[in-house]
This record gives sequence, structure tokens and C-alpha cells, in this order.
Amino acid sequence: MNKKATDKIISVYWFAVLFLVAAAVVYMVAIFYGEPFDIRKIEADILVNQVVDCIAEGGYLNSQIYKEGNFSINNENFLEICNLNFELEDFGDWQGQGQYYVELNITNLASNNIFLGPIKVGNFHLKDNCGGSKNFPQCRDRSFYSLSKEGDKQIKYQINILASVRKTEKNMG
Amino acid sequence: MKKRANILTENIIFIVLNLAFLTILFLFVFSKMGAAAVLEEKYAKQIALILDAAEPNMKIELDISDAIEKKEKKFPEGGIVTIYKNIVTVKLRDKGGYSYSYFNNVDVKVNLGKNKIGQNILYLNINEKINK
Repeated sequence: MNKKATDKIISVYWFAVLFLVAAAVVYMVAIFYGEPFDIRKIEADILVNQVVDCIAEGGYLNSQIYKEGNFSINNENFLEICNLNFELEDFGDWQGQGQYYVELNITNLASNNIFLGPIKVGNFHLKDNCGGSKNFPQCRDRSFYSLSKEGDKQIKYQINILASVRKTEKNMG
Repeated sequence: MKKRANILTENIIFIVLNLAFLTILFLFVFSKMGAAAVLEEKYAKQIALILDAAEPNMKIELDISDAIEKKEKKFPEGGIVTIYKNIVTVKLRDKGGYSYSYFNNVDVKVNLGKNKIGQNILYLNINEKINK
């Protein structure tokens, strides 16, 4: 085989390799940009933060929801008091299902009894699927401590919040 | 002499074809990156997250110049970002658009304007909801 013929064969292989590379790039770009942006973990994080801000302020239980040993918060008024709105866009069967879930309980650390709750708001089925793969609801579980003043005493509480966001169809391909 | 000219022509064709190939590849990647559908989803979700974390009396400015550049020419600028109830909709085309809901129960006023350096800015004024 002379040199010219060899060069031509090499260039054919070269173009074959280029087409393979192009096909791989097109495939990867299509996969990457075809997938929706998954923001559910951030949403769940923000949801937990909003509930924390609603329950406690400056290390103490919020005076708007806790006065003289009584909580004014319950399953019915939780969304209104914490300024949340779980209404959804008209997409698939989202409105019938509910795509958010929040669970809150407050434990008195001295007596180790559950002091309030659990308050459960939203689609409680989402809790069962927490911790699964990306096709399942994304959850955030957070605990923190807070105080309340009762006379000269300071009572310590542990507050547990679980937030779960589904919205799988809009966040997973 | 003729053989040398032949080699040069072949090499030039080879290089030009390679360059054309790579250019098409890069154009494809960049067109996908800035596609209207991708921008609609990106901004709808970004605005929803901003509103989720916002508090009353906040004023938020978001640069959406790339979305304005990508919108259809006849599509009105005022209709690009709309917020109804607690759903953000971003639309850059007549047949298109992306909606995403946020859970923070706040009242939002949306305005579009330009800043001092000519960037297209989306102004979000967050207020407490009056009729909860």
C-alpha cells in the first residue's frame, strides 16, 4: 500500500472517530438539558427554615404561638400562622395528591414528653417514601432546641421538623 | 510539483471539514444551553425559590437579560414573568411557558425595567398578604 492510500484510510477513520465523539456529545447534551433542574432538596430546606422561623425567635418559642404554657398552633391553623400556602399549579393529578408535607413535634426536655404535636400538614403519604432515590419525595429532617420563659424558670424544648417535597414530574426526567 | 499541490489541497479540505464539524458541534451545545425552554424552566424555578425564602418588605432584583434576548420578537415583555396566586409563570414564546408553585404566602408585585448599566432587571416587591 502506498503512502497516499494509507493517508486516505487514516482520514476515513479520523472522520469516523469525529462522528463518534459528536454522537457522544449530542447524547450527553440531550441527556443533561433534557433533564429538569431538581430543586426539591432546596425547597425542603427552605420549608424547614420557614417553620423554624415561625416556631422560635432568638432562641425562645415565638410569643405569637406560645403563651402561658399553651400553644395556639394546631393542624388546622398551622399554614395560616406560619404563613404557608400549599396550593399547586394545575399539573397532572398534583392538586388531588398534595406535593408538600410538614410534620412538627415539640418535646419538653425535662419530662421527655411530647409537649405539642405531632402536627401534620399536607400529604402524609410523602413521609413513607423519604430517603428513597431521586424518584421519591425529597425530605429534610431537622431538630433544634428552644426555651420558654415561665416566671423565673426557663423550660427547655426539643423541636423536630420534617419537611417533604414531591413534585417529582417537574424535577425528574 | 503537481503531487505537492494535491497534498496541500487534500490537507486544506481535511482541516476545513474538521473545523466545520467542530463549529457545528459547539453551535449545537450553545444553542441547547440558551434554549428558550431551558431559560423558562430555570427562571420559573429560580424565582419560586427566591419567593419561598423571601420575607415581607423585601425588594429583590434579578437580572434576566438572557431571557429577554431569547424571547420571541412579538412577545410582550410584560408577559414574560407573571405571578398569579402562588404560581410563577415564565413565558418567552407564544406556544410555551413554564409554571412552578411556591409555598410562602406572600403578596408579590412584579416589574420589569433597566438598571443604570442597561441590564434587564426583574423587580420583585414582597409584601405581606392582606387577605390570608
